[in-house]
Amino acid sequence: MGKRTKMLRVARYRPERAPTPYFDEYEVPYADDTVVLDALNHIKDDIDGSLSFRWSCRMGVCGSCGMMVNGEPRLTCAAFLREFPARSAIVVEPLQYFPVIRDLVVDMSDFLDKLKEVKPWMIRAEEKAVEAGEYLQTPEEIDVYTQFSGCINCMLCYSACPVVGQDPEFLGPAAIALAHRYNLDSRDEGRAERREVLGQETGVWDCTFVGACTEVCPKDVDPAAAIQRSKVEAATHGLQALVWPFGRRA
Amino acid sequence: MSVTQGGRSPVYVRPMPRTWWLRTRRYRRFAIRELTSVAVTASSVILLALLFALSRGRDAYEGFLGWLDSSGAVVLSAIILAGVLYHTITWLRLTAHIQVVRLGRRVLPRHLVLAGLLTLWVAVSAIVAYLHIWL
Repeated sequence: MGKRTKMLRVARYRPERAPTPYFDEYEVPYADDTVVLDALNHIKDDIDGSLSFRWSCRMGVCGSCGMMVNGEPRLTCAAFLREFPARSAIVVEPLQYFPVIRDLVVDMSDFLDKLKEVKPWMIRAEEKAVEAGEYLQTPEEIDVYTQFSGCINCMLCYSACPVVGQDPEFLGPAAIALAHRYNLDSRDEGRAERREVLGQETGVWDCTFVGACTEVCPKDVDPAAAIQRSKVEAATHGLQALVWPFGRRA
Repeated sequence: MSVTQGGRSPVYVRPMPRTWWLRTRRYRRFAIRELTSVAVTASSVILLALLFALSRGRDAYEGFLGWLDSSGAVVLSAIILAGVLYHTITWLRLTAHIQVVRLGRRVLPRHLVLAGLLTLWVAVSAIVAYLHIWL
């Protein structure tokens, strides 16, 4: 770390000490390549060992270091201290709209349940035998879903979405994007099963297209587009059922 | 608000303020987009009122046209027009975001989809204006 210093205002929640969160301030040295996660690790190692936060890879892959930095959901491993104004403190808080367990650590169990709900795996009406070979795809078929397969489950999109804040039951951007990814996969046959989950009131129809999920996504997954396309798909299916109730539909 | 769950340490659930939509620029942008839908409704209501006046005869129709010419109605129409234009353009922008146009392995860039939608909108508006003003 360099000789310049910056002030970090870090949210603390320690239920055994105080029933509500409060802020602690720490002055940390930094250089051009120092990120917020480095600063938090410096605080933990050298200033205050009681600070709790999640992190792992430090390279934008694991998705575990997401926090609110100056009110924006960010991966702290990709938020450089030099980006922020020199005079004011950088405010670091746990991801908003999630219950806080301790300091900067949020409870993600509800999010994990939602992911599971959309059955994010390959569903086949009939599995073919291993000897029959792989399920082949053309490059064009891969292109259709590739963008939606880049999710690292960092939960920044949930933290950007005001619908998640108002209705905690909302399935949410990442889960719907993941469902859409499998629905678009030519090897998958689980669209009808997922439609039951996506089509419910707390599924795609809860989304008001604020679009914040897409703007904060560090992997350009574009969950907002996935949700709106799922709405089109659900509406088309509903219309088909109305016009042709006995036919076979996708 | 502190919530205890099944013997575990209490988690803290942060309340969402009523003014959440003022907090960030993207929330404010969303709120304006939603608010301008009121202008779309207002323009539809004025059109319906015009048709209703027409159904009530010449005097009612001309009376309504007279009201539309008043300075208050002109100011109101200008506000409604601004709201409708903003709503339509942002709506088409979002449509371009959702609509995927594939040409083989290539996907048509969003700005070209938007340009196509805007051209179509302007063309249809021009036809309606032509029918309304010159025919």
